Amino acid sequence: MNTDGDLLHTVTADNISDSRKRLGKLIVWSTALCCMMLALLQTMYQAGRIGIGFETWRPILYAYMLWATALCAAQVIVNGEKGKRTLFVLPAALFVVSLVVFPLLFALYISFTDWNLASPNGPQPNGWDNLVQMWNDSFYWNALTNMVYYVLAVCVEYVIAFGLALLLNAQIRARKFFRVVFLLPLMLSPVAVSWMIGKSMLEVRFGPISRIIRDLGGEPTFFGDPEIARFMIMAMDAWTFIPFMMIMLLAGLQALPSEILEASKVDGASGWQSFKEIIFPLMLPVSVTAIVIRIIFKLKLADIIINVTSGGPGGATDSVTSFIFREYRDRSNVGYGTLLAMVYLVLIVIFVTLFLKLVSRWMERPA
Amino acid sequence: MKVELYNYIKAAQKMNRRQVLKGSAAIGAVAMMPKTALAGAHGNVRAEILKIPGVGAGSPTDSDWQKVGEMCLGATKGNVSEGEFEGVELTFMGLNNQNLHNFLFRGFLKPWEAYTGAKINWIDLAQADYNARLQQSIATGTADFDIIEMGAPFEGDVLGKGMASEMPEWVKEQIDMDDYVDYLKAPVGTWGGKTYRVSIDGDCHTFAYRKDYFGEGSITGRDVPTTWQEINQVSKDLIGKEDPLTGLPAHGYLDPLKGWGGFGFYFLENRASAYAKHPNSPAWLFEPDTMKPMVNNPAWVQAIQDVMDLIDAGAYPTDQINADPGTTAFQQFLAGTGSMLMWWGDVGSNARTSDTSVVGDVAGFGVNPASERVYNAKAGAWEETRNEAPNMAYIGWGVYVMATVEGDEKKKKAAWSAAAHLGGKDLSLWASAYPSGFQPYRNSHFQYDEWEEAGYERAYVEDYLGSNADSYNHPNAAIEPRIPGIFQYYSVAEDELAKGYAGQYGSAQETADAIAAAWEKITDQIGRDSQISVYKASLGM
Amino acid sequence: MSVIFKDHELGLRVKSKWWASRTAIYLTLLIWAVVCLFPIFWTITTSFKMAPDVMKGNLIPWWDFTPRWKGWESIGLSPRLIGEVSTVREEFFKRFWNSAVVSISASLLAVILGSLAAYGLSRFSYKFGFMKNSDISFFFLSQMILPPVVLALPFLVLYKSLGLLDSRIGLILLYTLMVLPIVIWIMRDQFQGIPIELEEAALVDGLGIWGAFMQIVMPIALPGMVAAFILSLVLCWNEYFFAALLTSTNATTLPVMVASQTGSQGINWWSMAALSSAAILPLVIVAIALEKYIIKGMAAGAVK
Repeated sequence: MNTDGDLLHTVTADNISDSRKRLGKLIVWSTALCCMMLALLQTMYQAGRIGIGFETWRPILYAYMLWATALCAAQVIVNGEKGKRTLFVLPAALFVVSLVVFPLLFALYISFTDWNLASPNGPQPNGWDNLVQMWNDSFYWNALTNMVYYVLAVCVEYVIAFGLALLLNAQIRARKFFRVVFLLPLMLSPVAVSWMIGKSMLEVRFGPISRIIRDLGGEPTFFGDPEIARFMIMAMDAWTFIPFMMIMLLAGLQALPSEILEASKVDGASGWQSFKEIIFPLMLPVSVTAIVIRIIFKLKLADIIINVTSGGPGGATDSVTSFIFREYRDRSNVGYGTLLAMVYLVLIVIFVTLFLKLVSRWMERPA
Repeated sequence: MKVELYNYIKAAQKMNRRQVLKGSAAIGAVAMMPKTALAGAHGNVRAEILKIPGVGAGSPTDSDWQKVGEMCLGATKGNVSEGEFEGVELTFMGLNNQNLHNFLFRGFLKPWEAYTGAKINWIDLAQADYNARLQQSIATGTADFDIIEMGAPFEGDVLGKGMASEMPEWVKEQIDMDDYVDYLKAPVGTWGGKTYRVSIDGDCHTFAYRKDYFGEGSITGRDVPTTWQEINQVSKDLIGKEDPLTGLPAHGYLDPLKGWGGFGFYFLENRASAYAKHPNSPAWLFEPDTMKPMVNNPAWVQAIQDVMDLIDAGAYPTDQINADPGTTAFQQFLAGTGSMLMWWGDVGSNARTSDTSVVGDVAGFGVNPASERVYNAKAGAWEETRNEAPNMAYIGWGVYVMATVEGDEKKKKAAWSAAAHLGGKDLSLWASAYPSGFQPYRNSHFQYDEWEEAGYERAYVEDYLGSNADSYNHPNAAIEPRIPGIFQYYSVAEDELAKGYAGQYGSAQETADAIAAAWEKITDQIGRDSQISVYKASLGM
Repeated sequence: MSVIFKDHELGLRVKSKWWASRTAIYLTLLIWAVVCLFPIFWTITTSFKMAPDVMKGNLIPWWDFTPRWKGWESIGLSPRLIGEVSTVREEFFKRFWNSAVVSISASLLAVILGSLAAYGLSRFSYKFGFMKNSDISFFFLSQMILPPVVLALPFLVLYKSLGLLDSRIGLILLYTLMVLPIVIWIMRDQFQGIPIELEEAALVDGLGIWGAFMQIVMPIALPGMVAAFILSLVLCWNEYFFAALLTSTNATTLPVMVASQTGSQGINWWSMAALSSAAILPLVIVAIALEKYIIKGMAAGAVK
């Protein structure tokens, strides 16, 4: 590890003796060995080769945790100051890696099998069949197209959220009240949102919204027409998550140095000008963070669709996740469903990487 | 079920203190009586439990469930001695359906636990998660429950894989299986000749209609339709008319056009059964020899075409494309939109009480409508004969004991004793009369005198229970196949149907072909040969 | 003052413009407040409605419908039933308690692990194999991208073999994994906003880097941690998918119970509304109590 890139420079005047290094390595290797031995033992036990073993793999988990702890400790023992720095990231990284690696590998395996849970034969590897099937599945592509619309809706949400943040940041009375109220939609669970709002409030016959529309002389339809249905889904999702973007933006606004704003006022800049020239550029980093996180949440959009429209009418509101969900859960078609999800994961990773690259390049220019 | 039945009791029945005392004395006596003497006390218990919770006490609560459970313990006491299952722990997986089902069972089984000394742990699932959860448990070997509340359609998945424990003889005696209505007798509940199921519920779709739409001087001016052809005609004729009750636009038959986790397909089946279920064969979904789907034969296509015609004619309420079966029943029919509906028994009873619906007393019931012609799949031609085929949708809930109890006789006996308690003859009478989520399913439930004595109006009981009884014992009842993955077939079918209704496919035939293609794929995935043998077995062929 | 006196016209214009903008601001605020509050009002009032009230779309209590305890009765929490035994109520409290334990522990764990990682990433440059800081950050972020369905079956198998099914620990680990990325993302921005000179001064004073982190940086970053904690809390509290999959008897949580209010007997709007209201209550209290930290903490450092 080199220290050149560190923002915080520390004096590394460590004199680590060889015996100390050896001790550190010894701890790591011995615990690793212990963990592996146990794992081997248990595998053999489960395969029926030997008679003694544990009921579950739990003891191996403990051994693994021991090894992880030893690894962290050894960082300090072996590398001294440098190790202490590594210690900041290592626990989180170990945690994530150990929880994710096995499931991901397993999922990768499943996605290349023909596995219907009801089938008595269990998973049957079937090569590229699932991929071919996906390629010809027009409703999967339809769901992907819908995702583009859904993601684009984030722009509108961003504008609304920014507007609300500006309002809350203005000199107003009852600021605390408004803040708390504006935050509330975030607290309602998606399950509750889809039932209490999507199915009850937006009910065409007796829902309060339809009654208002009827009183105004209109004929309400919320989920009958593809375009309107998609808009309603976007609106419900936006309702829940606008507060999230709003608080991030509001936090950013409040952290703006007040001198700059004062200065711009003295210069006689109008409200719009000072927003365009000063506030918006300064707010770019926060905006990017907010939008990125929001997009990622958006890409997982599913609960509301599953409960309210099941993707209808005719797939117009289907998101990829809700589509996979039906394939996977309602039809127990695990192999194909998992492949769809893996492909989606790859697509997202590419998309987000490109997006972040683009943003970072673009961010270097303004301001 | 039966909020309103229960309200009937409440309103009609004057609780007599002496009767109550007599009742509790009887229970005390039951506890001490030897097994042979039980029969005499039987009638008494049935009358007494129908009086719980009694007049003006509100909906039955936990303590009422426990009281009923206590009073119905007689049969258990005949087979199990007190404290016999001390130290046994059982896990029970079932539904939490609107805080009934599993919660009801808890109440019923509390006295049983107290008497036998066993302890029960509960797994509650939401109905939407049920199928998926069951499949995943089976596939990953995480099925760690001893007793399960399960619908008969899943028998293929569970019994077919040998995961359940066979019912001992003493249980059959205790629950008196001869009393079941015809269609719940074997082959339902059995697999390979062995019996597994304790029925606690009976299901079939019956026809519910608005009386004020039909008859002399009504807006249709005609009698209640008895065939699908008439229903389609009435629905078209009603376009543009006004509902006599609400003043909003009038509508005819309510088809759910959106799926409902697989359950939506039952509602196309209602239409199709009369066309497709020919009395010459029990098979009407698949060819029994090849598992070739019949869903794209002319009978089924006609059923889909009927719906599409009504969509084109504009016969449905707004946003019907987003209406699942729950919506058509509870937010449309009961709220005064539409005039005809197929549903399980409870919608009829719900309609009766004015405080759970706005259609009030204007609801009537009948069996699944007939068709003027029927498709003979064997001959490949339509026959111009009238055909009636009630749809036994879902076949009802039952309680099954899992094979996890095998090898531990004490545990096995305990599990079966608990299951038998829930499926007891008297307990089920109470459950079918009070809000419980369960329907009548025994011939003894249809003794109208018993209901009348408890305070029900004779005409009402005959109308409502009669339509159920007629369907249950119908010689041409359409019974669904209990094959593995049946809900996958339903789920994919309702998905394709929804697309077809939204105009994504060119015609009814194309929609039906898409369903058939998807079904073929599932059959191949699960294994055609095994499906064929299971299908035949489940139909008793 | 004198200016306004002299130029009456201008003064009026400024004033009317000020009033106009004030009105516009408050009007917008009020409209949005209604947008936010109405669904919640609808949920809470629905829990006091009978079926016909729901079906007729009655809106205002006492005016067009008489509030009843129907919804609360169905979970055993009405005045009539509060003294009686109620398994539904027991179940509700068990799940409430589990939800609380699981979401608080998971959020705490995520904030601890996440803050450490975020601090490291914002101060030092690492190199694990081919991965540099930005790659490590993206690696963490990518965990948030994982569609939950991918992990469903693998986790079922993994947890079964580890004996973690239906245990709170299992859920806590999974939820921590789920919210860790967002915590890291928020905290990294937070730490980037704290001037490095502070720590440098502390190092000169003889503190180690961990000492500097604990004694100097942590207190400054506390609002950010609270914000991240609350956000995690909300996400964990409302999680449905894995809760429905991985729990059965002992570790069950609230959202599954909310979803159980619909089934083949229609929808119990009242009890679903009551459960939703009860489930949102603790979060609302947290929001009111800690609201100022949320705003202060979120991304406070991002604007440099």
